[in-house]
Amino acid sequence: MTIPAKAPSAQPPGWAAGVCAGTFAAGIRDVVYVPDNPLSFVLAEFERQYRAVRLILATREEEAFGIAAGLYLGGRRPAVMLQSSGLGNSINALTTLVVPYQIPMLIVVSMRGDEGEWNPVQAPMGRAVRPILDAIGISHVTIDAAAAAEQVQLSAAAAFASRMPTACLVPRLVTTS
Amino acid sequence: MTRLEATRVIVNTCREAAIVASLGHPAYDLFAAGDRPRNFYTWGSMGLASSIGLGVALAQPDVHVVVLDGDGSLLMNLGSLATIGLLQPSNLTVVVMDNELYATTGGQATPTASGADLAAAARAMRIEHAVTIRTEDELIARLKPRAPMFIVAKVSESKPTAKPSLDYVGIKDRFMRALGNPEC
Repeated sequence: MTIPAKAPSAQPPGWAAGVCAGTFAAGIRDVVYVPDNPLSFVLAEFERQYRAVRLILATREEEAFGIAAGLYLGGRRPAVMLQSSGLGNSINALTTLVVPYQIPMLIVVSMRGDEGEWNPVQAPMGRAVRPILDAIGISHVTIDAAAAAEQVQLSAAAAFASRMPTACLVPRLVTTS
Repeated sequence: MTRLEATRVIVNTCREAAIVASLGHPAYDLFAAGDRPRNFYTWGSMGLASSIGLGVALAQPDVHVVVLDGDGSLLMNLGSLATIGLLQPSNLTVVVMDNELYATTGGQATPTASGADLAAAARAMRIEHAVTIRTEDELIARLKPRAPMFIVAKVSESKPTAKPSLDYVGIKDRFMRALGNPEC
């Protein structure tokens, strides 16, 4: 049931290798995703180095959170990986399922609309990501390329210890450097 | 066949199954038909019952997972059919309680009242075993887990008589323990 991702042939950027290492170290073996250009490096690195990680494609971000919630109910530790624009598609799933039922998961958000964005249509949601997460009670950290593995692992560990989702935001300045 | 009668058939036939119910009337009827630890009642997240059920099915391949969805609910998340068609989980059965109404919100007609064919949509998304049924016998005959199964049960609306608890965390904890999964 592993869905092959399009694999860039070059070595992964450090941040992407770090996201994978931190995710794996936290015991996560199921990653539900909606594709995104920067995340393609993460997906390819999972395919190359972490064959035990099952990659599950969703058609839309809200669906991804539903699948991840079910995986947790079934005894797995899930992650959802998505672009920040897709967080807007996910609010109802987060506020009426994941948060009130206290279903923990790691959320990795590839940022659009922040510093370095070329497409202004992304800017409003880019500005809104952190206020939205604060308003609905999901804690978040901003990923630094050099510390990505540790940040992701700690964030995921906090999620499963507290039984609440946590988010790791990967800025464009990191993914496009 | 009312929705409550169809729900009773499922609870009595699939005794070991994990059952995930869509919010509103499907969840109320599941509670009324037989509250049990392997029931997961959603109180929100309209449209996601089949996605939650898919996740449980992927996590627990030896457990039969039955989803009680609504026609209006499934129409909010038709992409789920493509994902189920892609992954082909043999232990997942999705039952759409198709009363052709948004019954929980006051009885507005859904597109299935005008002929929208959800079973055809499922077949088009590679869920080969997708049928529309109208009787209890037809329903019982299709509740054995052997391949991803998609059943549109044409039901008449029945006024719900009971509701599950609003203790969301309690619903989750009980469901997980019943599946042998302490929180991880």
